[in-house]
Amino acid sequence: MNWNRLLLSGIFVWILQLLLADFLAINTVRPDFIVIVVLYWSLRYGRLIGIVFGFLIGLLVDLSGTASFFGLSPLTYSITGYLGGSLMGKYSTMGLLYFSLAWIGVLAFSFLIFSMVQYQHIFGVNTFLFWSKWIATSFYTLCFAGILQFIYPIHKTQ
Amino acid sequence: MAVVRGKSTEFVAFLTSPLTWVKSMMYLEEENQLLREINLSLTLQVETMLNLDKENQELNEMLEFKSKTNLKILPVRVVNKGIQPNLLSIIIDAGTDDQVEPNQPVLTAKGVIGKTIQTNKTASIVQLITDVNYRISVRILPSGATGILRWVGGGKGQVREVQKNVEINIGDKVRTSGFSDIYPAGLPVGTVAGVFDERGSYQKDVIVTLPTDLNAFQYAFVVIDRNNELE
Repeated sequence: MNWNRLLLSGIFVWILQLLLADFLAINTVRPDFIVIVVLYWSLRYGRLIGIVFGFLIGLLVDLSGTASFFGLSPLTYSITGYLGGSLMGKYSTMGLLYFSLAWIGVLAFSFLIFSMVQYQHIFGVNTFLFWSKWIATSFYTLCFAGILQFIYPIHKTQ
Repeated sequence: MAVVRGKSTEFVAFLTSPLTWVKSMMYLEEENQLLREINLSLTLQVETMLNLDKENQELNEMLEFKSKTNLKILPVRVVNKGIQPNLLSIIIDAGTDDQVEPNQPVLTAKGVIGKTIQTNKTASIVQLITDVNYRISVRILPSGATGILRWVGGGKGQVREVQKNVEINIGDKVRTSGFSDIYPAGLPVGTVAGVFDERGSYQKDVIVTLPTDLNAFQYAFVVIDRNNELE
């Protein structure tokens, strides 16, 4: 395993998120490049690396100006790392369709946890708005993950 | 932990400030045009207000009533709008060196947008009105009904448990109530967009439109001193 490559890719994506997220915002929803890189790491290096690096980069995200729920990003990225790591080496048995659905599900679940915490009161007040928030947040990031498949398909990490 | 968060906030502010500068340059001409229009409109308003102020002073003297607002306001620039998938906090380019402390109101020309929660020497984190943990005590005018406002998505806030017998209409102004230790009375918050009267309940819910577009603003103001609020 190349530790330098892992660290550099993490720092590069963090800076990318820091500088570009606001430019790409649509009605306060921004793409999350970091969750994509955590998924790639975990699929390539397994659960342990996924969890540890997910936690560390999540900490870095929360230190970059999070107002409340300090610790939510390490939690969601660690879960992404764990679930992504579970898919390691499964491409050959699952096939392209189910493998793709599985990693899309992992990303969607990660955003569901984020939304459940951040929009817990909206869930009680307006359930439709809550689900639309979750779908919008997940879908926007999934679009970027989808574009990335043309450049570096996720199953190539296997 | 607060020290680590403070230092990291300063680092992020430093890292993103060149990009913020470029972004502000992009909008400069458009903003300039808008400001010129506002300036003209305000000049006309000032003329009217000067006359009204003179009249008000005379009436106050007659009633021996002494009231003066004297808030100390610091203009700040937004250097970063957070890194999370949703906009919940911002970083501003002012800290303890500029007398900014935690729990000070942050507003734009249109209304309150949040409060400072973490400060360091040159940068501070602002918790926005869109954060789930954010609450603000408000008064609805002209009825005078008070309540706690919280964000409910889509540029709207909700004031719950307002007394049912109070008359509230769409378009009524919503201001800070002054009951809070953080927000002085009378800061603009929004306007009433809807009133929901639940059958069998002793209270009603009020939906408030929050005027500031959180996507677009780049400058804000921090109320750094409210001790002389009422003299």
